[in-house]
Amino acid sequence: MTTILRYMDLYRYFVAQRFKILMEYRLNFYIGTISTAVQQAAALAAIWVVMRQVPSLNGWSFYEVLLVYGLLTMGESITHMFADNLWTVGWNYVRSGDFDRFLVRPIDPLFHLLADRFCQDGIGNFIAGAVLVGAAMQALGIAFTPLRIAYLLVTVISGGVIFIALNLLTATSVFWIMESIPVTQMVFTMNEFAKYPLSIYNAGIRILLTWIIPYGFVSFYPASYLLGRDVGPLAFLSPVVAGVALLISYRVWLFGLRHYSGTGS
Amino acid sequence: MTALWRSFRRSVDIYAALGAMAAKARLAYNWWVWADFVMTIVSMIVFVYFWRAVYAGTASLGGLALTQTITYILLARILAPLIETRMIFSFGYMIRTGQVAVEMTRPVDPQLRISVESLAEAGVFLVQRLPIFLIAWGFFGLALPADPALWVVFLVSLLLGLGVILLFDWCFACLAFYVTETWGLSVVRIAVAAFFGGTLVPLAMMPDWLQSLAVAMPFAQGLAVPISFLSGMASLADAPRVWLVQLAWIVGLLVASRLIFSVAVRKVTVQGG
Amino acid sequence: MAVIQVEDLSKVFQIPLKEPGLKGAVKALFAPKYEPRVAVDGVDFSVERGEVVGYIGVNGAGKSTTIKMLTGILLPSRGSVRVLGRDPHRERVANAREIGVVFGQRTQLWWDLAFIESLSLVARIYEVPKQRYAELLDQFSELLDLGELLHVPIRSMSLGQKMRAELAATLIHEPQVVYLDEPTIGLDLIVKDRIRGFIKEQNHAKGTTVILTTHDLGDIEELCQRVLMIDAGKIIYDGPISAIKDRFGKHRVINFETLQAASHLSLPAGAEVAGAEPGKLSVRFDRTRTTASQVAAALMSQVEVKDFSLSEPDLASIVKQIYGGALKDGMQ
Repeated sequence: MTTILRYMDLYRYFVAQRFKILMEYRLNFYIGTISTAVQQAAALAAIWVVMRQVPSLNGWSFYEVLLVYGLLTMGESITHMFADNLWTVGWNYVRSGDFDRFLVRPIDPLFHLLADRFCQDGIGNFIAGAVLVGAAMQALGIAFTPLRIAYLLVTVISGGVIFIALNLLTATSVFWIMESIPVTQMVFTMNEFAKYPLSIYNAGIRILLTWIIPYGFVSFYPASYLLGRDVGPLAFLSPVVAGVALLISYRVWLFGLRHYSGTGS
Repeated sequence: MTALWRSFRRSVDIYAALGAMAAKARLAYNWWVWADFVMTIVSMIVFVYFWRAVYAGTASLGGLALTQTITYILLARILAPLIETRMIFSFGYMIRTGQVAVEMTRPVDPQLRISVESLAEAGVFLVQRLPIFLIAWGFFGLALPADPALWVVFLVSLLLGLGVILLFDWCFACLAFYVTETWGLSVVRIAVAAFFGGTLVPLAMMPDWLQSLAVAMPFAQGLAVPISFLSGMASLADAPRVWLVQLAWIVGLLVASRLIFSVAVRKVTVQGG
Repeated sequence: MAVIQVEDLSKVFQIPLKEPGLKGAVKALFAPKYEPRVAVDGVDFSVERGEVVGYIGVNGAGKSTTIKMLTGILLPSRGSVRVLGRDPHRERVANAREIGVVFGQRTQLWWDLAFIESLSLVARIYEVPKQRYAELLDQFSELLDLGELLHVPIRSMSLGQKMRAELAATLIHEPQVVYLDEPTIGLDLIVKDRIRGFIKEQNHAKGTTVILTTHDLGDIEELCQRVLMIDAGKIIYDGPISAIKDRFGKHRVINFETLQAASHLSLPAGAEVAGAEPGKLSVRFDRTRTTASQVAAALMSQVEVKDFSLSEPDLASIVKQIYGGALKDGMQ
């Protein structure tokens, strides 16, 4: 227990130091935070333009689509904020040998890798996603009961964990091929599907996004539950999927670390 | 007279060599090409399903049929990187490393040089995109016109459109002289250009006030306008008018870009970066 | 008990063989072939508390591989490493608390952070008590003259400033063992002096064991009482510096400035001409077979000498000789 507390305290300190760096370049900080929000705005404007002409997308109204989109955005922003270094682990750490520094420090190397870069750009995205979810639920008349809020909290956290787990799994390839970005990119890009209700796709894609690269549990299934659409037990599986995904990914990461210690860089 | 010809030939050689270097650099990134390939295929699948679901209830939206829209969007997505130039990054890099001063002393005009390099990169890019293009045409319902004249018109318009975007980006990239957070700025520029350039949604579907806003910006000239020839949204007869508008944009932006650049450069050369 | 105990330590790397061309690349993917490369071959040594050991070898001799195994980054293929009684790889965290590592040119500090902020983050990671941190900060500021550096980010520091900062950060958690990889590379004499002084002081005051990897033999002469020499993965020398100098430093060189050309010189046994230029002549002689005065007298009786000087063998030339195989000769 003390280890967890200690790591939380240490993380807070890492983030504080990072903000000190960011505040050096205040203008950059604001531009970075706003830029992702602008990106979202453009994509949403596009959806709005389209959906104002049609009553629904495969039976999903504009605000229902927004709920799905918002939940996915929140999940994605979590990995953007807390695990951005999984993208750069190759060229910024392993290739340069700086990763070895993590192995001679008395803290978990994965923790160090992630704590080393809290990405404030993700904050803009998170807020945008939260606004979307809030606005959608409001417009659809879904009340914010304590139970629903709890469900949302669990969903968003699970969503973030699923994103992080998948990025961690693909980032481990760095220990074999020295550069993990293309591999991570290929899996990460699948989340595009989960921006819209999975029901618009064919069965193959739905299965891919439910059981293999489970981005469906970030947005579609929780959204369905909140909207009163029946998806059976899948409505409650998000935290389970997140946990299992993280467990598998972490094991693979440890395996990769062992390989790195055996072969050197 | 021969001296003039010789110096012209030499300039052409220099620019051609620079173009070749840029092209080679682009081809060196192999893994990335693969990842890029997968990403594009995925986003195309998403788009096709999305639009099919949208058109589930109606036959026409904003005056466009499903096949038109799909052709339009697929072409827009395939060709999108052409107008997502990274000029602001190059500027930022040049300024940070102090290369700007070096550039100004070279006999090669930086604007011309970067334009040639961008065109060369664009050429390589188009070739790299060919397999995706074929896949889209074979499997995703890309419906292309058979009339070769339309293709010629498209290519001319694309070239002009690229010119418009390059010149606009030249102006935009000058922001790098004042702000170092080039990544954030580039994200904003790509997002705004994607929306108002009609590559996320066909401009015809936008409400009137948005459409007029989009027309006032140069982005639509980059891809939306050329693509409209291939997706049945513009006919051969429209070609002269369209080209004229693009040329007008080019002239206007050319003047603006030279002006803005000379002002911005002063910040580095006079005050010292 | 020895602080570092290494027995039969070996590391064999499997280097993938890649045939050129597309066919080769495909083959490498499906039926990869490997070729073993021995980087460290059955190394034995032990280091006691408070020793400052110089670890030298040409590039590629196995130095950094050994250090990586000592610090727990790399897993040995064979043999054992024990640092403070622990296996540094298996008990990585516990070992990490007690060691400090300087990786040559790569800093452990955060590029854009003010030095003092970097330092406090490091102190946090190593759980240095606040009081102790304040005391050490004062001490180090004085010893390394850190005063104005504290609020400067690493990216703005000169090489010498960076290394001073690096050392402070490495020793702020008072490790028992410190591995220094090329700490004085590229530095000017004044900074080198200061850094060497700091290392010496820490070693004397706290009994910190230091393993120093360096190409700078000045470091070795200043700091180390013992030298480990590795070549092609094997330890070829392990002993005090004085022994090297005595055993291999039997040659002296006298440099003469002459007023006339010298030819067909007759020199005492054990002396030979080391180099001849117009106006200059160097004679190398074996101290055990003849003396400086004999050589000088012999030469001056044959050639008119304007000036002369006697030079001591420096460690660099001795080491060069050793690499050249003199060790094997000397061992006979």
